[in-house]
Amino acid sequence: MRFISLTLLTMVVMTIPSDVQAQKGKKDQEATFVKSSPRIGEMLPDVTVYAPEGTQISTADLRGYYTVLTFGCLT
Amino acid sequence: MNRDYSPKGVKFFYIYKTLAHPELAGNYVQPFTLEERLAHARQAERQLGGTIPWIVDAMDNRLKHALGDRPNSEFIMNPEGIIVRKRQWSHPAQVRKDLETLVGPVDHVTKEEDVVLNLQVPIKAPAARGVLPRLRRGKMQPLVMEPLIEPGRPPFFAKLRAEADQRLMTQGAGQLYVGFHLDPFHNAHWNNLTEPLSFELEVPEGVKIDKLRYGAPKVEVTSDADPREFLLNIEAWPEGQPIRLTVTYFACVGEESCHTVRQEYTLHRRRDEDAGGARGEGAGFWEADEFSEQLISGDTDKDGKLSRSEVRGLVLPHFETLDQDGDGLLDADELRTVSDWLNFHHKPGKPSSELKFNP
Repeated sequence: MRFISLTLLTMVVMTIPSDVQAQKGKKDQEATFVKSSPRIGEMLPDVTVYAPEGTQISTADLRGYYTVLTFGCLT
Repeated sequence: MNRDYSPKGVKFFYIYKTLAHPELAGNYVQPFTLEERLAHARQAERQLGGTIPWIVDAMDNRLKHALGDRPNSEFIMNPEGIIVRKRQWSHPAQVRKDLETLVGPVDHVTKEEDVVLNLQVPIKAPAARGVLPRLRRGKMQPLVMEPLIEPGRPPFFAKLRAEADQRLMTQGAGQLYVGFHLDPFHNAHWNNLTEPLSFELEVPEGVKIDKLRYGAPKVEVTSDADPREFLLNIEAWPEGQPIRLTVTYFACVGEESCHTVRQEYTLHRRRDEDAGGARGEGAGFWEADEFSEQLISGDTDKDGKLSRSEVRGLVLPHFETLDQDGDGLLDADELRTVSDWLNFHHKPGKPSSELKFNP
């Protein structure tokens, strides 16, 4: 029991600093991304994309309302 | 959130982009044509069962490039088309907070348990998998390659995935992975009653390679859907001089429709930044020696060990955990354990059936 407690304590002590560092790394990456172009306050770039049926869409057509865009894929 | 904020005039869209992790969650492979990518997006609509519509990036990945090249980033625009929020990883709870600020709170907040998604399973392979053992490859880098697409010819039932190890990519001498993966969207299987898949290479002058013609092994069962994989040793491949590859195989769709296919590719010794990181039963492993060698290249003071300031990337946040003797330096033995640690935590090689898809 004492061995298990010591092992758990060691794992916790070893894990906390690495998790803190991992969080810091993620925050740094996020900050870099937010500062990259296009920045907040700039226009969404105007490019041609497609509806799943193949119709062309301009990203400029998305104006006129608040829009949330999220990148994703099947994997 | 779509249900809550649509009445307030907010529009939600997913953008279908190049695959983040080919071979994962359904053994999907990168599409070669816009029609194939559109089919991916329609499958995503069915498979993920949501009500948020998808729009599809062009094959040159122009929207992904224009918006910072992240696999799962998120943007909110105001009605004038100006970006008012952006983050590199989608964070639905944060989007809700953003919309509360930008548009106002809603009377009724839909909870996750209130939403019933009509999820569907990924496309099933039309023949057995697991017949041929997978070639376990270390973490390699995808190469830029161009399939020769000509109108009127059969589709690419099987698609090439070409990857290089670190030495091949940087020095022109190392290992080249050549894998032909059946595309689930074409519903084809190998016809093993005929000659197995084979391919020929045309290499620039001076390139040394094991041989120029390769053949897949004969398989005893009449059909299967496993990839046909090869690992080639190459030396002296100069940058800027492509290798040409011609593959021949027999693929069947159903029982009746069989095709003899001959297709061509051009391979460049250059990383394809849009090809994603393959993960699945054979891909995505960190190999101890190669990964250790790669890491030690950051040893700027040449003492044979890495201090915290010499470490980058995935390893940095876990430096203390990996520094087992606590001397503030990662030595060769400790660096070799890094690959075990990454393999354990990131779980490459997990059969795709056990993994969930990740929109």
